[in-house]
Amino acid sequence: MIITEAICKQLSDKEIVKKSLVDIEYFSCMYDRYELRLLRYIKRIALVNDEQAKDILQEAFIKIWRNLNDYDQSLKLSSWIYRIVHNETISYWRKQKSFGKDRQVTLDETLFKDVSINFEMNEDNEQKERLTHEVLKLLPLKYKTVLVLKFMENMSYHEISDVLKIPEGTVATWINRAKNMFIKEASNNHISFFN
Amino acid sequence: MEESKKIIEKIKKERIRQKPKWYFVVPNILIWLSFIILIFVGAAAFSIVLLSIQQTDFNLVSHMSHSKVEFFLGLLPFFWIVILLIFLGGALFTFKKSKKGYKFGWTRLLGLSTAVSILLGTMFFIGGGGHWLENTFAEQVSYYESIQQQKQKIWMKPEEGFLSGVIEKIDGDNLQLIDFNNKRWNIDYGDSFISPSVSLKKGEQVKLIGKITDVNTFQAKEMRAWGGQNRQRKWNGHEKNSSNGNSKK
Repeated sequence: MIITEAICKQLSDKEIVKKSLVDIEYFSCMYDRYELRLLRYIKRIALVNDEQAKDILQEAFIKIWRNLNDYDQSLKLSSWIYRIVHNETISYWRKQKSFGKDRQVTLDETLFKDVSINFEMNEDNEQKERLTHEVLKLLPLKYKTVLVLKFMENMSYHEISDVLKIPEGTVATWINRAKNMFIKEASNNHISFFN
Repeated sequence: MEESKKIIEKIKKERIRQKPKWYFVVPNILIWLSFIILIFVGAAAFSIVLLSIQQTDFNLVSHMSHSKVEFFLGLLPFFWIVILLIFLGGALFTFKKSKKGYKFGWTRLLGLSTAVSILLGTMFFIGGGGHWLENTFAEQVSYYESIQQQKQKIWMKPEEGFLSGVIEKIDGDNLQLIDFNNKRWNIDYGDSFISPSVSLKKGEQVKLIGKITDVNTFQAKEMRAWGGQNRQRKWNGHEKNSSNGNSKK
């Protein structure tokens, strides 16, 4: 049976999981529904190009397929998928990191000269987004992750808790620390966050 | 649609199978089973700690003439406290490994597990489980010193003023007592405080605080039932309760 976009659109996340367990063709609905968001997320976290991001996503979706019976209905499907994609991304990122241990991420200082950005991201503004990513590069992985999930993926504390498998209180603490760290790093590079 | 088709093709071509449901269910059941067992053992240990505290006369510390801290520490049921902590730690670790374990911080989890252990342990203790378990343990494990044995040790130090045993005969202000080493003592209890839980009759197990006045003679200042409370009362030949200790007239 060929599953069209129209058929997929009619199905809820949970229905897609149920149908995928019976008919693999429905699994394409899940991929198509989340593909763009997840590719964007992978690139934000792991600093990879489009091809690498697609490879990571493919591997993650193979894992999702293998573990589909483990999906807990009490979780949002998006949280569960993000969790697996996140783990796959981190695993890839660590492998890459171990290949280039001596390499250090440095900030392109010319990018920040006399520029002000707002902390709440505006996707229309490419320059701001690019600058934000430059600062995010400088943060420890866990702080970068919570900022991306909260402010770029627009997730609630509850969802972030489910993605990263940490208590909601810890999510709040990390976000708070991450914000301060972000502001400090940006300030060190002459960027003002609040206009 | 292109990428999703590629993945489905790959899954089909490489015959990648989904892990069966039991693959995820069984470990989850094992984790919860371990958690329940660990919590129950922790609760059982707590019930024995309660039993031990109930059986221990902590106010004896005030009667000690030397090394009170050492004596006090000796009264604590360390073995069961350590068992309680080990199993509580195990329960925490197991819960963290469960599917929803990540939702709880360590502090909250520690509080919850401790509360559950205390609640179950208290219920177990009230139901007599602590006593039964401690007895069973003492019978089965040869090197384990039971609470009763520890108690006897403490109360078999007549030279330090602690004596215990079974009343054999009562004669006016004196009684005869056979201690746990089968030694016969003459007890002068004329001016002693007597706990309300003591029945002055042959066969009653009692513990005494006082001093040795002769080879086989012990002058009692306080008399308590072997397993009883420490409330004191006046002895006037008949039982009379009082919250303050009074001596026999």
